[in-house]
Amino acid sequence: MTELITKEPKKNNLNPIYGNMIFLEQFVESVISYSSRYNSILSILYAPENLIGNPSKYPNYGDYPNSYTLRSYGKWWNQSEAAQPDYMPQDVDRIPSEDFVTVRFKHGVFPENVHIYETYNPGAVVRLWGHLVSNPWLLLWEGDPQVCLPVARRFSPPIRQVKELVNEIRIEFNQSTLKYYTSLDAVLLTGYQPKSLLQCKLLQKGLFDCLDGCDCDIDKSIESHPCSDGIDLFADLPFEVMVHVFQYLDLKSLCRCAQVSKRWYSITFDPTLYREISLKRYWNKVDGAVIKHFISKCKNVKKLDMSWCSIEKQITEPVFIEFLERCCPNITHLSLGHCFGHTSSLGYITKYGDLTDLRLRNCKCKTEEYKALSNLTKLTALDLYCSSISDEYLINILKSNRDLKHLNLDLCELLERLDEVTEIVSIYNPNLITWSSWKTYSITSEGVKFLAQCSSLRELDLGWCLLLNDPGNCLERIATGCKDLRRLILSGWRGVNDQLLLPLIRQCEQIRELDLLGMKNISVDICERILSSFTKLKLLDISFCDLIKPEQVVLWQQHYPNVTIQQAQ
Amino acid sequence: MHTLWLTSRLLSRAIWNGISNLSTAADANLQRKKDPQIISAVCGFPKERKIQRLIKGQFGDDAWFTAKYKTADVLGVADGVGGWRAYGIDPGEFSLHLMQTCQRLVNMGRFTPTNPSELLARSYYELLHHKKAILGSSTACVVVLNKENSTLYTANIGDSGFMVVRRGKVIHKSEEQQHYFNTPFQLSLPPPGYQANVLSDQPDSAITNNFPVEDGDVILVATDGVFDNLPQSLLIKELCKVQGERCATRLQTVANSIAWMARNLSFDETFISPFAESAFANGINTIGGKPDDITVLLATVAI
Repeated sequence: MTELITKEPKKNNLNPIYGNMIFLEQFVESVISYSSRYNSILSILYAPENLIGNPSKYPNYGDYPNSYTLRSYGKWWNQSEAAQPDYMPQDVDRIPSEDFVTVRFKHGVFPENVHIYETYNPGAVVRLWGHLVSNPWLLLWEGDPQVCLPVARRFSPPIRQVKELVNEIRIEFNQSTLKYYTSLDAVLLTGYQPKSLLQCKLLQKGLFDCLDGCDCDIDKSIESHPCSDGIDLFADLPFEVMVHVFQYLDLKSLCRCAQVSKRWYSITFDPTLYREISLKRYWNKVDGAVIKHFISKCKNVKKLDMSWCSIEKQITEPVFIEFLERCCPNITHLSLGHCFGHTSSLGYITKYGDLTDLRLRNCKCKTEEYKALSNLTKLTALDLYCSSISDEYLINILKSNRDLKHLNLDLCELLERLDEVTEIVSIYNPNLITWSSWKTYSITSEGVKFLAQCSSLRELDLGWCLLLNDPGNCLERIATGCKDLRRLILSGWRGVNDQLLLPLIRQCEQIRELDLLGMKNISVDICERILSSFTKLKLLDISFCDLIKPEQVVLWQQHYPNVTIQQAQ
Repeated sequence: MHTLWLTSRLLSRAIWNGISNLSTAADANLQRKKDPQIISAVCGFPKERKIQRLIKGQFGDDAWFTAKYKTADVLGVADGVGGWRAYGIDPGEFSLHLMQTCQRLVNMGRFTPTNPSELLARSYYELLHHKKAILGSSTACVVVLNKENSTLYTANIGDSGFMVVRRGKVIHKSEEQQHYFNTPFQLSLPPPGYQANVLSDQPDSAITNNFPVEDGDVILVATDGVFDNLPQSLLIKELCKVQGERCATRLQTVANSIAWMARNLSFDETFISPFAESAFANGINTIGGKPDDITVLLATVAI
């Protein structure tokens, strides 16, 4: 390790107090949760669990299977047609967090620093939260995603000094500026462990601050705004106009407006302001009380994004059910990524027959819970990323939702008969536009052929699906059947050779993104043809294609400046 | 090739069913104060005397690992099949990655102490998912000391193996698995297009065994470079010297001497080695040792 951990004296006035505490440096003890992973849950390659313990690769830089790698990078995933649109555009965070990982440390400490060891394409960390298990989360740091040099770095953002013990850190990512996949090797939490409960309480209550003679946490930002002449110009505006103006405000501003005057307060109760609600960015604040507050305001919510809010623990299921019943009778869009745990039930969602867009990413409900979803009939988008759905229930859902356009089955480990699923899709869901089954292994080339019958297919993610299986002529079928294909991910199809790619080149002129990672046998010639034939190509991933030399890629990058060519070795 | 996802299916079931069990296994209170454990030493030589890149856990095409977890101590060796060199594939890569992955799986606690063949299967499964294709094939032998009941659980594919000696007597010895003479069972990831022509055995074809061990038992885990060149009588004589040994240094001395003997005999052209005997039994008239990579993992049980 090149960098030694230096114990600089803190320039903080709390130094004398910390001086009596034990200084601890801890690496991660366990991973609590995460929203994104590259590999299947069975695998330790690129798994979040690799964050545990000392850094194993730092300060080396590269694509290491024993680090934690996120599934997405750059803008490519957000540009997908299947990507979830913002339900409440005015409430989108300035720095939206796209993914997170929560790690636990053995001892609770007053945090001094958090060091994040990034070993591949650093720069995506945008937020750090900390708390002691079951206490509220505290924001320790936030900042813009950074464009970084391709070297390993130990990222140590200046964290807010909080007077609370912390043993869990949540790291949030925004991958938009990343050129390629990002990897984390380890996380180090440094801080002071109080020797006694008394010491701990004294610090938390701020008594030491007074001893130090420093001012306690008095918010100095409150300034007195000079009231111009006491005339409320808004008072003249009709109620409807005010409501219209308020429609452009985010939830936080609405809450503030409610405190201005009785009139404004009553305006914020207008249900039309709450047609579309996105609570994702407030995941840590949303609890039963907040939802009950919404119950009093909302009447006809159409789109609801509650991703990352824990329904099981924070909100409790009865409150959530009441909210759905009273406020969202005709809901069409529902996004509940990471909301459910093992003991949650899903059945009550299916009462809402108007649902067209349902996103249940990372929902680890029991498999039987998915059975009820087949009561829905109008679904056009269904996202089951990393969920525990089984073939049988999925097939029932597909049969009853004939208008399905977007289906995501990434990392669904329990799907064992994917060939049957694709056969059903070819019969019942001919209008499918996007299919994604990244790292879902039970599909064979026969199953892929069924997908070729969905002629409007535009995005096809079959990354790592075939591995060593013989692709046969399934790519030819896809090329003939899906002429409008724009995004094609075939990473890890080891058996593909030049010959098998030719039909795609001849027939799929619309291709914009093509992922050929890990194909050992494809030649320079075929890549040349891909680059010259696909005039609309934007992204070509040829990492780990052994026959293609980096010098060649450099040449191509000059010739085809509009194409992003990825080549990691 | 259905077997591929069958493996994964088996694993996925095991994992989904096992989630509740995992949490209890991690309970530190279960651990007794004085656990049975394995003390081990390793020595080996690559076949070629040329300077090899020095990687821990590798001798030529052989690879080995030792790992400890709170529930078990694990030893393993693997012998990469040299025939792949002709296809431009480094045979050592497969065996090394197989063993390193086993080691990581053990360190992360993602294994069942009573099921070493599952450990091999998981490791094999991980190799499939490397972005960089790792090709080749390898024999493998894994020995797990389950601390819970002081029982040794073993899994063996091919002609690497283990031997357990108690006071001069062989208690257990692995069986060789061969398709035909000098062609052992092997886990393999052939290059695309070669699947049909390559001998490939599934991780579940491993011979598994389990038997209780006593304090002081000597365990030898080694690749065929040792067993093909050292007659059993000689091996037992050496192994007796460390019966009950708890000092790692003295263990190392004996491991070194076994490896040295195997190496010297492998280049002795007049010696009637176990390999030559076996060749003769198969109607091949040959004499002398069999030059090969040599890996010796020597261990004693302390209870």
